[in-house]
Amino acid sequence: MDKFLSTVPFTILFLPLFGAIVIAIVGPRVHRAGAAIIGNLSIFGSFVLTAMLAHTVWQMPVDQQAFTVKYPPAWAAHPAFWAHIPPLTISFELRIDPLALVWMLIVTGVGFLIHLYSVGYMAQSRWYRTFFAYMNIFVFTMLMLVMAGNFLWLLVGWGGVGLASYLLIGFDSNRIAAVTAARKALIMNVIGDVGIMLAIFIMYAHFGSLSYKVVFANITSASTNTLDWIGIWLLLGAVAKSAQLPLHTWLPDAMEGPTPVSALIHAATMVTAGVYLVVRAHPIYDHAPAAAMAVAVVGCASAVFAATVGMAQYDIKRVLAYSTMSQIGYMVLAVGVGAYAAGTFHFVTHAFFKALLFMAAGIIIHDLGGEQDIRKMGGLVRRMPLAFWTFLVGTLAIVGIFPFAGFFSKDAILDQLLALHHPILWAFATATALITAYYMFRLLFMTFFTGEYRGDHEPHTGTARTMVVPTVILAGLATVGGWLVLPGRDEISRALQGAFTDRGPLPAIGEINWFVSGVTTLAALAGIAGAYWLYQRAPDLRARLGSAFAPVHRLLANAYYVDTIYHWIVEVPVLTFASDVAKYIDPEGVGGFTAGIAHATSGIGEAMRGWETGYLRRYGLTMVIGMVLVLAYYIFVVHGGTSIGVR
Amino acid sequence: MIGLFWICTVVLIVTAIGVIGSKHPVHSVVALIVNFAALAVLFLTLNAEFLAMIQIIIYAGAILVLFLFVITLLTIGTQPIEVGPSRLSFQAVPSIVAGIAALALLAAGVRGARTAAPAAPPDFGFVGTFGLQLLTTHLFAFEVTGFVLLIAVLGVILMAARKEVRF
Amino acid sequence: MMIPTNDYLAAASALFVIGIIGFLMRRNPITMLMAIELMWNAGNLVFAAFARNFVDMSGQIFVFIVITVAAAEAAIALAIVVMVFRRRREVDVDDVSVLRG
Repeated sequence: MDKFLSTVPFTILFLPLFGAIVIAIVGPRVHRAGAAIIGNLSIFGSFVLTAMLAHTVWQMPVDQQAFTVKYPPAWAAHPAFWAHIPPLTISFELRIDPLALVWMLIVTGVGFLIHLYSVGYMAQSRWYRTFFAYMNIFVFTMLMLVMAGNFLWLLVGWGGVGLASYLLIGFDSNRIAAVTAARKALIMNVIGDVGIMLAIFIMYAHFGSLSYKVVFANITSASTNTLDWIGIWLLLGAVAKSAQLPLHTWLPDAMEGPTPVSALIHAATMVTAGVYLVVRAHPIYDHAPAAAMAVAVVGCASAVFAATVGMAQYDIKRVLAYSTMSQIGYMVLAVGVGAYAAGTFHFVTHAFFKALLFMAAGIIIHDLGGEQDIRKMGGLVRRMPLAFWTFLVGTLAIVGIFPFAGFFSKDAILDQLLALHHPILWAFATATALITAYYMFRLLFMTFFTGEYRGDHEPHTGTARTMVVPTVILAGLATVGGWLVLPGRDEISRALQGAFTDRGPLPAIGEINWFVSGVTTLAALAGIAGAYWLYQRAPDLRARLGSAFAPVHRLLANAYYVDTIYHWIVEVPVLTFASDVAKYIDPEGVGGFTAGIAHATSGIGEAMRGWETGYLRRYGLTMVIGMVLVLAYYIFVVHGGTSIGVR
Repeated sequence: MIGLFWICTVVLIVTAIGVIGSKHPVHSVVALIVNFAALAVLFLTLNAEFLAMIQIIIYAGAILVLFLFVITLLTIGTQPIEVGPSRLSFQAVPSIVAGIAALALLAAGVRGARTAAPAAPPDFGFVGTFGLQLLTTHLFAFEVTGFVLLIAVLGVILMAARKEVRF
Repeated sequence: MMIPTNDYLAAASALFVIGIIGFLMRRNPITMLMAIELMWNAGNLVFAAFARNFVDMSGQIFVFIVITVAAAEAAIALAIVVMVFRRRREVDVDDVSVLRG
């Protein structure tokens, strides 16, 4: 393997980490712009190298496009493992194939754009340098996750992104809401980590190795039941990381973090890690239909659930959070039924338009001085034209209107659902498309139209160029990104083929299914029309409907009270138990135990005081008794009772 | 010879009981003197003439005289005899029991064939032999014994020079 | 005919035990000291008997040294007794229990 291919992956992976370390060491001593420059340059460097690597790989013949690199060649003298606990050997290996490359390109590419955006957005933060260091750590751990060559290093990256998420959500650590949200995200992520660990344990028990090469090559040697279990536990991890039902409650709260964080981590990259996991482990799911169906059902349910909740939210970022959950539901649904190319394609387009939406929302929030409640907005179409046009592009993309990106990817998924004979799931997915159109345009109308500006602050103009440029670039990508898959030119499937050499050719997703696309477009238009009617044309109708369906509205606004349920089932018992332990068991149990030892020791001392009577004759008696005992021992035990006198 | 041995042994035991049993300390001292005499005869039967003489001279002649002096000095104006019941409970009976147990064990230990001692060279136990052994083979012990006596003298002088101590 | 060594040992054992009982039962300190003397003499008898048994003068030398040490000890012990009981009405060893723990 040539030197380029065997060293570049490591450079790509470690460049962001190196950047973070440099920021940590040098950053505080230089002007804060230095941290921004180092952060942005390291990610950009990774992106460029990734692009070069991708270009090289996709020139190669299809059956050679997937390969594993272990340790840089310079260390060839070292043994080929990172850990060797007989009989398990784990290497530090990276797997480079088209699947990983797609994710790497998005992570570094969109990541770089968001880094650039943060230069302007975080300008007022006191911890500016720390922010860039944390973002670099996130990019590093995310790359570790997608580039890993065995499940252990995947888990390392998995936990790493959870940590980065925790650090970044709670970035403004003076706000209790942010810190609580960060803790909640971490705890739920850890539940997912446990799922992956259990899957790893089963894998080790059956395959004896955690390396992708070994596990996937011997996949048929395990029973379907085993593979089902592995799939279920991996699904648990995916559910937690991708905020699917039922471990989704951390995602809306995660919006407490700064908007670039929401854009990068909780929209474009980290939350898609669950999707990546399922696609990466596709041999497992291909042979475990029950687990795969579970994945699809979870995805579908999450998509519908989140869409309905999104209809009743008033915080601009929360609407986007639920829409992320819903779109990820689409991706999970797609990979659950085996439409891996469609799911990946939707990931790519979603990264574009969701990051775009968050950036545009960020511009609005930034210019309104921190206002996020859409009831306090309105009429911004004239005051903030840039934000409006970019937000519009993103909305059209997510709703799936031709020719924007979402049209192609969403229709690809829906088409595959029917082609793979899942009509019920297709019906739900199409209904979700209707609801998605409704709530996204509701958001658009309430923010930019519906009469005059209702807010308190005067929006100030003049957004920084570093914020504007990435937004516009993403708007462009959201427009043209879908054109990777056109009738007769399925770039995605062609590109990914190299990662699916075991399955034969992937189904082409480029052909337009007029029925599916027609129905979907109609549904979307219906949703848009509904939002337009209720919000622009007939606000009194909306008010009447609102009061008539008030309980339903409350249910949706509180996200089906899932948070409340979790609070009473999990939080309250755990906290009560913890406080009880601290109040009772700790002082009396543990404290009592240690005090008890002290008491016992002094008690023995007290007891032994009784021996020191002070009477000489008593001491003498004790000595004589001792002498008698020693004599008896000596005669009977040592000499066995025979005489020791003179013979 | 055997008769002598047994007579001496009987005297030994009887006077020993007399030592510990007498109420008045002076009676005890007298019994002790007879005890030492019997012991000296026993030494003679063991071919230890020098030891027998030393026993009489030093033990009976010096140490017991010292005892008598102390009894005299101490009991002027005081009750020499123990009055009242003992303050220590569980002292008498356990003592006797322990003593009997010790005796039984020692008896068990020394039982066995009663063979006589082998023949000894004629000058065994003579003063000359003794002195030669003392000053050649066991010279170090002899010198250390001197130190012990020195220390005893020093100790007694220091204690005598001390002012009254109140207990 | 010589006397068997075991007989001497038996006599010494009896003497020793009498000394023990006397030491533990009497309260007069001087009587206690005399009981101690009995114990010493029992030991001396054993040494002399074995010296004769093994035809080794070392036993008799040891008796000599024991007598010397006993003399020194008796002197010091009596000095202590005099000091402690000088001003008392009754002479009872049980009075001296100041080192009670």
